[in-house]
Amino acid sequence: MKINDTLPLEYRTEENSNKIFGFWLFLGAEIVLFSTLFAVYFTLWNRTGNGPTGKELFEVGGVIWETFLLLTSSFTCGLGIHAMRLGLKKPMMIFFVVTLLMGLGFLGIEITEFVNYVHEGATLQTSAFLSSLFVLLGTHGLHVTMGILWGAGILIQVGRQGFTDETANKSFIFSLYWHFLDVVWIFIFSFVYLKGLM
Amino acid sequence: MARLFPIRHVMGYIFSLVLSLVALGVIYWDLTFSAAMVILIISALIQASLQLVLFMHIGETSSKKTLYLNIAYAVFVGVATIFGTLFAMIWGY
Repeated sequence: MKINDTLPLEYRTEENSNKIFGFWLFLGAEIVLFSTLFAVYFTLWNRTGNGPTGKELFEVGGVIWETFLLLTSSFTCGLGIHAMRLGLKKPMMIFFVVTLLMGLGFLGIEITEFVNYVHEGATLQTSAFLSSLFVLLGTHGLHVTMGILWGAGILIQVGRQGFTDETANKSFIFSLYWHFLDVVWIFIFSFVYLKGLM
Repeated sequence: MARLFPIRHVMGYIFSLVLSLVALGVIYWDLTFSAAMVILIISALIQASLQLVLFMHIGETSSKKTLYLNIAYAVFVGVATIFGTLFAMIWGY
């Protein structure tokens, strides 16, 4: 196998470079997926029927916490990859654990919010606005859930095997996914919540 | 300890927090709809590029040209989908 020592560990074999490249292609498809959900939401956001409007429903406090947690987790995830490139296993694992815990905190707030919405009579069936809102937020939340499970699996492998071509590659690809979820959240924060609360 | 927190990452993080606060301003400041949308769009785009370049290291591989092209194409399809939908469904053409 051809090994190029000038690159970070996660890129060194050709297979691993291809895996990272392939993941970028997947992220391109994810951009399109979320764009279609945003398009539906922007079309239906004022079709509230007998249900509440965004302005009545959204609470800015929870949203600020969600944004803060996800931005910070994206930062610690980046620090984790930086530590990995320095070859420091323990700091990398701590940064990743912090990342996943903040991801869990984000999910906790989001689920609480959904429960509150339903208690206020705002369910998936109430109006076109709420259907499109729940589908958009739910798809993002599902991605975060998958990311937490995925990241936990990678942490176990790094803990057992240390940094190898394979675990470094998997960790880096996970970091790409996690940062991408933060990017999607920025758009949800701006164009769903802030625009809705204006 | 300091080498675990590279200055670029820390600055990027602080900058993204500041941008979120600026975006948050649209619900407290008395702005017109279009002024608020301009603020939201610009701050979201800067934040997204910050993540791509700083944290996702999009520019560091030899295939970076292809990556930029791939992401640009995905964004183009996404933007065409969103504004095409708005054009047909909302703006009444």
